[in-house]
Amino acid sequence: MRPSGELFEPSASESSAVTASEMAVASTERGHSGVALLLATAAVVAAIIGARASFVSNAASDSWQSALRTEVKRSAGAMEDVRYLYQSELPVAIRILEAQLLQGELQTAAAIETGPAKQALQSEADVQAGIIAALSSSSNLAGKPAYALPSGGFDLAKRLADLRAQYPALVALDPNGLETAGDGLAREAEMLSLAMLPTSIGAFLGVLAQPFKRRRGLLLAAGSVAVAAGAVMALGVEVLA
Amino acid sequence: MIAPDSAAELRAERRFDMIAAVLIGCIAVLAAILAYSQIDASLAATRADMKAARLAADLSARISVSSQALDSSLGAQQVALMMGMDAASRELAGVKNNDGGTLAVGAAEDQAFTKLQKSLAATSATSGSAPVDVYTRGLLNATTADLENELAEQNHQVDLSNEASSREQRSVLGLSFLALAGVLTGLAAVLREGRAGWISLVAACAMAGGSGALALLTLA
Repeated sequence: MRPSGELFEPSASESSAVTASEMAVASTERGHSGVALLLATAAVVAAIIGARASFVSNAASDSWQSALRTEVKRSAGAMEDVRYLYQSELPVAIRILEAQLLQGELQTAAAIETGPAKQALQSEADVQAGIIAALSSSSNLAGKPAYALPSGGFDLAKRLADLRAQYPALVALDPNGLETAGDGLAREAEMLSLAMLPTSIGAFLGVLAQPFKRRRGLLLAAGSVAVAAGAVMALGVEVLA
Repeated sequence: MIAPDSAAELRAERRFDMIAAVLIGCIAVLAAILAYSQIDASLAATRADMKAARLAADLSARISVSSQALDSSLGAQQVALMMGMDAASRELAGVKNNDGGTLAVGAAEDQAFTKLQKSLAATSATSGSAPVDVYTRGLLNATTADLENELAEQNHQVDLSNEASSREQRSVLGLSFLALAGVLTGLAAVLREGRAGWISLVAACAMAGGSGALALLTLA
C-alpha cells in the first residue's frame, strides 16, 4: 500500500511526461524572474516619482510661504509710508496752510483798514508769519511747490508716490506672483503623485502573475505597460511643467 | 499521482498564495491612492493656511491705512471748522464790544476759513489716486463693504484649511492601516497556511479594507 501524501517516481514509460514537467519548471523559473523584474521596476519607478512629487510639493509650500512673507513686507512698507505722510507730514502742512491763508487775508484787510483795526490785523498777520517761518523748514509737503494744488491745498497722491519711490524694491514686491508660482508647482506635484497610480496597478498585475500561472505572460505584459504608462506620465508632467 | 490529502494541502496553499498576492497588489494600489490623496490634501491645507494668513495681513493693512486716510480727512475738516468758529466768535465779540479791530480780524479769519475749507477738501480728494501705486491705492480706498468681503473670504479659507487637514489626517490614518496590513501580510507569508498564517492574513485583509474605506472617504 502506498503511504498517503507521497509523490511517486515516474516509471520509464512516463519519461516524456517528466521532460515536459522539467520544461514547465524551466518556464516557471523564467516567469518568476519576470515577476521579480516587474515588481522591482515598479518599486523603483514609484520611488522616483514619489520622491520627485515630494520635492515639488515642498517647493510649492516654499513658494506659498514666500508669498506670505512678501505680503507682510509689502503691507508694512505701504503702512509706514502712509503713516508718515498722514500722521507726521500732513498735520504740520495743514497748520502751515492755515497760517498762510490767514496771513494773506489779514494783510489784505490791513491794507484797506486804518487806525487800531489796521494795527490789530497787522499784529495778527505777524503772528501767522511767525508760525509759517517756524514750521516751513520742517515740512516737505508744504515747502515744495511740486505738491501744491492749483486750487490750493496739497497733492497727497504725488507726495505719497514720491515717498514710495524712495524704496522701489518694496513697491515692486509681488506676493501674487509667488502664490501663482506655488499653485503651478502644487499642480505639478499632484499630477506626479497621480502617475504613481498606473505604476501601482503595474505592481498589482505583477503580483497577480505569481499565483495565476496560466495568465502570467498576459499579466506581466499588462503590468509592464502600466508601469511604463506611469513613467511616461511622470516624464510628461516634468516636460510640460 | 498525488494522494488526496496532499492535493487538498496544495489547493489550500494555492488559495493562500492567491489571497496573499491579491492583498499585496491591493496594498500597492491603495498606497498610491492614499499617497496622492495625502499630497493633495496637504497642499490644499498649506495653500488655504497661507491664503488665510495673507488675507489677514491684507485686512489689517487695509483697516489701518484706510482709517488713517479717513481720520486725516475728518481731522482736516475739524481744523477748518475750528477756524470758522474762531472767526464767528471774534466777529461776535467785535460787534458786542464795538471793537473794530477784533471785528476786522474776525472777518479776515472768516475769509480764510472759506478758502481753507476748499483747499483741504481738494487735498483730501487727491488721497488714494494716481500716481500712487495700485496696491497702496487699494489700501487707501478700501470701503467697509470691501473689508467685509475680504473677511468672509478669509474665514472661508480657514474653513478650507480645516477641511483639507481632516482629509490629510484620514489619508495618514489609511497609510498607517496599510503599513500594518503590509506587515501582517509579510507575517502571514512567513507563517504560511497554518492557523496563525490564516489569522494574520485575515487581519491584513481587514486592515487593508479599513484603509480602502479611508481612501474612499478622502476622495469623496
